[in-house]
Amino acid sequence: MKRSTYIVMAVMALLFAVSWYFKAATYHGNVMSPLVAGFMITLAAFLTLAIISFVYQDNPFYKFAEHLFVGISAAFWMCQSFWSTIVGNLIPRISTGLSKYFGQPYRDEPWNFVYWLPVILGILLLLRLSSKIGWVSRWALAFIVGTTAGLSFIRYLRSDFMEQISSTMVPLLAAGNSGESLLSNITLSATGPFVAMLTNWVIFLGVICGIVYFFFSKEHTGLFGRASRVGIWILMITFGAAFGYTVMGRITLLVGRLTFLYKDWLGLIS
Amino acid sequence: MKRILLTTTFLLLLMGVASAQADSAAPSPPAPPTGVKAVDKPNDHGHAVNISWDMSPDDGKGANSVVTYDVFRWIPAYMDSVAQIRAGLSGIRDTINILDRANRKWSVLEEHLTGDSAKLANDSVVAAQRIPQLRADLKRFRQVLASAVERLPEAHKTYPENGSWRRVGTVPAGQGKYSNVGSKEYEEPDYLPDFSDFYYRVDAVGVVSTTRSSSEVSAPVHSSGQWFNTGRTTVLVFVLAFGFLTVLFVRKARAGHDLYVRPLAGIDAVDDAIGRATEMGRPILYLLGAGTAADIATIASFTILARVSKKVAEYQTTLIVPCYDPIVMSIAQDIVKTGYSDAGRPDAYKEDMVFFITQSQFAYVAAVNGIMIRDLPATNLYMGKFYAESLIFAETGALAGSIQIAGTDEVAQLPFFVVACDYTLIGEELFAASAYLGREPLLLGTLKAQDYAKAAVLLLAIVGLLAVNVGHEANVEWLMKFKELFKVID
Amino acid sequence: MTEALVVTGTNLGVVISLALIAGGVIWLLVRSLKGKEVERRVIFGFVLIAVSAPILFPITFHEQISPVVKAVFDKIESLPAGSTVAISFDFDPAMAPEVQPMANAFTRHCFAKGHKVVFLSIWATGQSLLTSTLDTVVRREFPEKRERIDWVNLGYKAGNQGVLNVIVSDLRKMYPTDVNAVPLDSIPMLAEVKAFRDLSLILAVGGGFPGPKEWVLYVGDPGNVPIAAGAAAVTAPQLYPYYPRQLIGILGGIKSAAEYESAMVDKYPQFDSVDKPGLRMMGPQTLAHMVIMMFIIIGNIVFFRSKRMRSQL
Repeated sequence: MKRSTYIVMAVMALLFAVSWYFKAATYHGNVMSPLVAGFMITLAAFLTLAIISFVYQDNPFYKFAEHLFVGISAAFWMCQSFWSTIVGNLIPRISTGLSKYFGQPYRDEPWNFVYWLPVILGILLLLRLSSKIGWVSRWALAFIVGTTAGLSFIRYLRSDFMEQISSTMVPLLAAGNSGESLLSNITLSATGPFVAMLTNWVIFLGVICGIVYFFFSKEHTGLFGRASRVGIWILMITFGAAFGYTVMGRITLLVGRLTFLYKDWLGLIS
Repeated sequence: MKRILLTTTFLLLLMGVASAQADSAAPSPPAPPTGVKAVDKPNDHGHAVNISWDMSPDDGKGANSVVTYDVFRWIPAYMDSVAQIRAGLSGIRDTINILDRANRKWSVLEEHLTGDSAKLANDSVVAAQRIPQLRADLKRFRQVLASAVERLPEAHKTYPENGSWRRVGTVPAGQGKYSNVGSKEYEEPDYLPDFSDFYYRVDAVGVVSTTRSSSEVSAPVHSSGQWFNTGRTTVLVFVLAFGFLTVLFVRKARAGHDLYVRPLAGIDAVDDAIGRATEMGRPILYLLGAGTAADIATIASFTILARVSKKVAEYQTTLIVPCYDPIVMSIAQDIVKTGYSDAGRPDAYKEDMVFFITQSQFAYVAAVNGIMIRDLPATNLYMGKFYAESLIFAETGALAGSIQIAGTDEVAQLPFFVVACDYTLIGEELFAASAYLGREPLLLGTLKAQDYAKAAVLLLAIVGLLAVNVGHEANVEWLMKFKELFKVID
Repeated sequence: MTEALVVTGTNLGVVISLALIAGGVIWLLVRSLKGKEVERRVIFGFVLIAVSAPILFPITFHEQISPVVKAVFDKIESLPAGSTVAISFDFDPAMAPEVQPMANAFTRHCFAKGHKVVFLSIWATGQSLLTSTLDTVVRREFPEKRERIDWVNLGYKAGNQGVLNVIVSDLRKMYPTDVNAVPLDSIPMLAEVKAFRDLSLILAVGGGFPGPKEWVLYVGDPGNVPIAAGAAAVTAPQLYPYYPRQLIGILGGIKSAAEYESAMVDKYPQFDSVDKPGLRMMGPQTLAHMVIMMFIIIGNIVFFRSKRMRSQL
């Protein structure tokens, strides 16, 4: 390593120590010891800064924080899955001894094969590790893919297909359920019948033109082509809205992090 | 004996008169509801009965004295014996739970909190001794309960002997129906046995709960489960229709029928972009995304890569394919090799055109960005599954001045590609492009089936719109009921 | 959007940063019109200033509630007191700044109306965030509300949409006990709740998978239960097709959270003193959006100008 690297490392370590000392000295809560609290807040702040430093350029601190994050989240998910799925859901249903060992209340239910099925399929999945009989894991995979697809297919068909078709069937002239005549009351209020009618037209035309755009069996010429143009426009507007929302979401996250830095770490605001 | 009976009757009568005189202001009971009908609840797994009745003449009109309706079911006395066994069972279960808790590992924590370590240790010993015995009891009780439950339909046959009327539900005045839904687990207190004769009665109740009048008893009814939920018939129709179309078109495509797919602007642009790269003498960068080889988007991307590699071989341009997934890489190598062979230039294929980088998302991004900046490819093609890296790629590519064409089915990433790329294949277009180029029967057949489904949606939406807008005015029955077809009842 | 601008504390900081941003933007415009490239770090710097200044010198706006958000507010208002409502915490710390304010506002609103609340999470990471809401909102602001009588914490269950598919028709099959291993049958407030379809309302707060969409697909539609979504901004546009039939209302991103908090304060002045992160974050948000919009405008001016110059050549 270069000498400058050592210097930067030393400065960072010193800053960390100073921050730890001050945070510990100013800690008032009684949840944990001041020393631990000071360390936690300092570490969180340093990791935040390390990640944010990426906007300047890639650097070892960013890499360290990223790898730490990847490693911890992998371990976290592994432990979570073990404790919540195997210990939480499976063991209390199949074994008294194991329930006792893991400190889970055993569920006294009559013996049921359905609970043993996932055990068998799970073991089949693990057989992937063997090169000779690895192929049996495909049965378990086929089960997972098949059931998930079947379950989702029915739910999506209902909620995303039938309900959505039915939502497209909207009144285009007399808007709203009040049934009042449109001409008697033209206002630009967001809840008024005129705006409601406009919304219904947008929904109707948007759905029709959007589907036309994604229709691949006919060339987009003439009226069909024009509808498809409208369709792509509506898609682009949707993407624009999604983009705007994403920007808002990202800024919120930045505000959240900066608030942490200014408030919890530096104590600049109360 | 006879004398006692007579005296009692007389006394009762006297009391009745007296109370009537003392309480002459008490309201007279409302007229009873009539026509009580009980039917098995349709489209369910059993253990439920729907009861309906014609409301009392005093409900809302007449004397207007009905406050609620009480729904009664005749329950055989045998049901109480079953309930006792059940109570015993749940008592044992609770005891086991309590003892189990004392026995549990985290009782160390409780000890820390309460400080009563001797008691906890003792509890633990007691628990360890008693639990096995209790579990044996539980098993025995369970067997007894199971055989007791089997005799419930028989017990219901003794009506009206050996049983009593019990209230199972109350509904406010103005309503004429109630669902008596029980549990299907016989260990639950509200278990309702199937295939037993249920008799129902409905009381109209006044302000004072004693002023009530009972309806006639309904005809006996059995609850039972149904195999098919008729409320979901429409879903079945759609599933079958769509399944049929898919199979039909996949078979047609396999049989070699010419299924038309319109050319897409993005695909024509791919050819132009390859030509441009050749003119400029710069390489073409092709990314398959961060998906696995099992993702549909990646599979579609393979087909497009086959086409691109063939063109590249014909034009003698350089192709760079950095991969994120090792399996995807090995397939991609095969594809590019075949592409070069098909173009008649197997000698021009080099192993290191398709290479693996890493499976760490941002490390992959950094490496690919490095390639973009160093090699300055004339054309970047992003086809497949992309996540947070999409915008970073597209932005770097735009900075490097490359023509960029993207295609993904990740809706959340589409806006980023749309703003930063020259052409974007949006969602299904990626599959359509792949079907168009590859003529793979499975993709082509599915695409065609989807097109027909879309045409059906268009048609249904337009008919539905007509139905909603003119159905009532034109007074056409089927138009008015059209929207109801899409209602799924559970 | 802004009905009244309430500047709390010193507004000197805001004025200075606004001036700084305005000056910077003009400099940027001039520089890019001259054809010089602007480093992306400069843009990051502007966003940092725009976000930091209103955090350090807070400004808050009064938000006008939009119909999509109002629908949720009105629904909670219109339920009879004592109704059972579920709030699902399906998010992780990365999403928390956006959606936790919504979850907290929903919690306050439900308790203020006297509803009973079932808390749960189908995200493993949601459990600890749920605990923080219980500590900072429920136990601190509503000490009179008792656990298992007025609210219950069911905790996290693994299984994603599989959990939802079961609890819509049978809650106890998936959750035999609450988070403290107390059997549901001995919890008074759940005596009548056998399944999630018995609930009066479900507030699904989240934004990934599984999230509000899965609540609609697996619980709302099959169980015929009203669902309202508190969604992270990124996923909000994908939920709009479900409004208003399958979702009674949608809170998308921090703006909606702020609107909800405003509506809460209007209706329940006692909540004026509690922390309102939604409203607090709208200051930085507004300034940052202004900066980004300026960049878009500058970018477009430069783009069209260079295009015209190229076509003249």
